[in-house]
Amino acid sequence: MSGEGPDEVLVRRVLEGDVEAFAGLVARHRERGLRFVTAMLGDSADAEEVLQDAFVRAYRGLRSCREPARFGAWFFQILVNRCRTRAATRRRSAGLFVQDDAALERAPAPPGADMEWREEITRALAQLDPLQREAFLLKHVEGLDYDEISRLTGAGTSALKMRVMRACEHLRASLGEADNGRRR
Amino acid sequence: MDDAADDPLIRRIADELARPVAARPDFEARVMAAVRGAPSTAPARAWAWLSEPRALAVSPLHGLAAAAVLAALLFAGIRVVTRAGRAGQVEAAAPEPAAATAPAIVSFVLVAPGARSVALTGDFDGWDRSGLLMRREAPGLWTLNVPLAAGRYRYAFVVDGRRFVADPSAPPALDDDFGQPTSVVTVSGARAAGGAL
Repeated sequence: MSGEGPDEVLVRRVLEGDVEAFAGLVARHRERGLRFVTAMLGDSADAEEVLQDAFVRAYRGLRSCREPARFGAWFFQILVNRCRTRAATRRRSAGLFVQDDAALERAPAPPGADMEWREEITRALAQLDPLQREAFLLKHVEGLDYDEISRLTGAGTSALKMRVMRACEHLRASLGEADNGRRR
Repeated sequence: MDDAADDPLIRRIADELARPVAARPDFEARVMAAVRGAPSTAPARAWAWLSEPRALAVSPLHGLAAAAVLAALLFAGIRVVTRAGRAGQVEAAAPEPAAATAPAIVSFVLVAPGARSVALTGDFDGWDRSGLLMRREAPGLWTLNVPLAAGRYRYAFVVDGRRFVADPSAPPALDDDFGQPTSVVTVSGARAAGGAL
């Protein structure tokens, strides 16, 4: 059953009382969600917790998903908000966003990843302003256009372009040397 | 400002970040366990059932009785509405002890003279961007009554489908200060202490 049928079919089944159909939505949107949250938070344990929380909230609020065929976009909006909330909680409790070497060590390397390169990227992302990191990930990793990002985040497209540009500048400055080194 | 997509370094960074991240094997099972324990979507089904148009054949005598019951329910409903404060301005409805678990009607109001549409979104609808559409009561005055169970809710208005606006008459949500402007309303239950934050 899991993962079968388009999102709108699964959403309708859940709303009709078939709770288990929600597993299909989880299976379908888990990978992309986890990739985004892990890059945003830099800690895989935290990322799974936030992703799980987002799924539960999506389930509880499923009736407000006005376009079931676009469940993915709707769910991603919840996920972005949950990341922001978690980041804010972290900032208040720890004073720093990620910059956590222990978290870096806990984070499993994705298959095929160059560990050192991955860690360099994670460190550079951690130094970014969270809104710049969010905009960069949505634009360059998730491949969304600025109108979609604007709908997701509530920010205007010119502000988003500025955030992405600043993020790219920072990443070039932080990772240019490491990239040259590994490519020699 | 978009030419970064053609920058090989940015492309290599994005490619690395686009690799799938493995979740723990029991991730889906944990999510589903949490989902099964979450409040169900039953209210939506109940509402769909209640709001579904259906024909009823009622004798004149039964019709009179039904009208009396409806009038009593309407009167009770109005009482709840009048007990409910405007969100963020005064304490939201404290339901009668006998109806401790019944939702209270909370009235949300925003003055937004230039707006073409205003929607309400918050913890109660999963922060759906399309939100719950508010009604234009008068030029620039947008209102919506929402049934809410006792609890604390963060919310915001979405003006013209794009702009998040906090409720100027309500306290800000301090636990959501990293994103959109957000306000808080607390709906008191019979056993819940305190009122609006």
